[in-house]
Amino acid sequence: MKIIIAGAGSVGRYMAEQLSSTGNEVTLIDSDANAISRVNIAGVTVTLGDACEVDTLSKAGLSNADVVAAVTGDDEDNLVISLLAKQEFAVPRVVARVNNPNNEWMFNEMWGVDVAVSTPHLLTAMVEEAVSIGSLVRIMKFEHGKAQLAEVTLAAGSPAIGTRIADLGLPRETTVVAIMRDGHVLSPQADIPLHQGDEVVVLLTGDVEQDVRRVLIGNSAS
Amino acid sequence: MNIFRRQRSDSPVVEESVYPLIASLTPRSKTAIRGRVVRIVRQPTQGLPTLLVRIEDASGAATAVWLGRRSIGGLDLGRTVVIEGVPMTSATGLRFLNPAYTLLP
Amino acid sequence: MHMIIVGCGRVGSTIARELQSQGHEIVVIDRNKDAFRRLGEDFIGRKVAGIGFDRAVLEEAGITPDSAVMAVTSGDNSNIMIARVAREMFGVQRVAARIYDPKRAAIYQRLGIATVATVAWTSNQILNIVFPQQSSPTWTNPTSSHFIYERHIHASGAGRAIDEFTTEECRVVLLGRNGVTQIPPTTVLLQDGDVLHVLATSAAIAMFDHAVTAHQGSHS
Repeated sequence: MKIIIAGAGSVGRYMAEQLSSTGNEVTLIDSDANAISRVNIAGVTVTLGDACEVDTLSKAGLSNADVVAAVTGDDEDNLVISLLAKQEFAVPRVVARVNNPNNEWMFNEMWGVDVAVSTPHLLTAMVEEAVSIGSLVRIMKFEHGKAQLAEVTLAAGSPAIGTRIADLGLPRETTVVAIMRDGHVLSPQADIPLHQGDEVVVLLTGDVEQDVRRVLIGNSAS
Repeated sequence: MNIFRRQRSDSPVVEESVYPLIASLTPRSKTAIRGRVVRIVRQPTQGLPTLLVRIEDASGAATAVWLGRRSIGGLDLGRTVVIEGVPMTSATGLRFLNPAYTLLP
Repeated sequence: MHMIIVGCGRVGSTIARELQSQGHEIVVIDRNKDAFRRLGEDFIGRKVAGIGFDRAVLEEAGITPDSAVMAVTSGDNSNIMIARVAREMFGVQRVAARIYDPKRAAIYQRLGIATVATVAWTSNQILNIVFPQQSSPTWTNPTSSHFIYERHIHASGAGRAIDEFTTEECRVVLLGRNGVTQIPPTTVLLQDGDVLHVLATSAAIAMFDHAVTAHQGSHS
């Protein structure tokens, strides 16, 4: 795939290295000549210029790029780059980095962003996943925000304990992806009864989060 | 692209042969099309306004999408319009995101 | 009118003082409290320290759909974000953004946001967008019989041919749209966001202003 990365800081350079090593055609853009000169990765092209300018994006090859990743340290730039990538170059997939969580609400189709990644958000989700019992932890969103990966570790009062997966009554827009029990990954066979302490990983679409909470957590809990 | 030069020539109505047909378009290649507005949908995206305008010519239809707008003055059902931008493929056919537009009589 | 100015640099502070002297309710937003010093001692408007595209900051500034918002920070990208949040999140109709780079301005104009793109700008140009009929003409002939006025077209003028507004005392001499400026044929239909320069007598411009803002009849 042809991938253009805007922002040659440590994040951008790391991404370029990883993506290039798996056989992708990668170009890095940055307006800072020093940042560009620090790029010394085999197979990665560099473009010096302001990625918020159409001319620079054109030079970097957005016209036939498959993916653009806007990963500068500046949310304003990442949003503008994403919008230009969609509007001026019809890039099929645009991934953008959220630096300030307060801005996360803007990182969606309204600015041409297909996937937004917020490190603080991911960090929080990972902390919650490790420590929370009896609440729904949102891990990650996909598909333009329409699908969400979440998990619930069943607490003592969970209405799901002792129930088979097939009998849970989960809404249609849900799939149980896996059950983690005592360090093992169980694939979600319909006839497995759930235990207290099971970590239930689900994929949901639509507005079914409330229903999933009701089934796995109960009415009184969060 | 300069609409005005064409209009200055003879008639105010631009010749249809000047614009490529929607069915002949290559995605991701900057272009301009001329057609009639056949459908207007106001659709909230993440709670914010989005305007979808379906434009039809003799060969087919494409959708112009404007982010953050509820309506565009003069862009009503039945209006002939020229849309200029870079089309992208989508589940519902070709789409133009925030294209430049010119209202025609 | 309730007006929010984001960016208290030379541009923002000048507009703020000018508008306040005209009796409007002014709120100035800037990331940096020190910038408010440019407003001077007599400035009685409100000052809000914060980021102009932050919803909470705009709410604190009292934003409503009837407000006017001027995004005049030193960052083009910030100005576009401020303009879009004001328009899309808060329903503000009167929004203007300063864009330093004319090429970028042409692209952002397609978003339907009134942009002023000029290096040597004047506060008059921003005010032209918010108060179209009160700004001074950009040119007068020596006998002051004829003037050239800058006019911004909104939805009410859209779809109507220039011909409709052309008389012996009123001509649209320039049309700016999407970064291109032309001397337009009278057959061109006006569009929301068009920036016109109209050559007219003072009586004729009043008629033009009245005609262009009057709601049009049904299409033929």
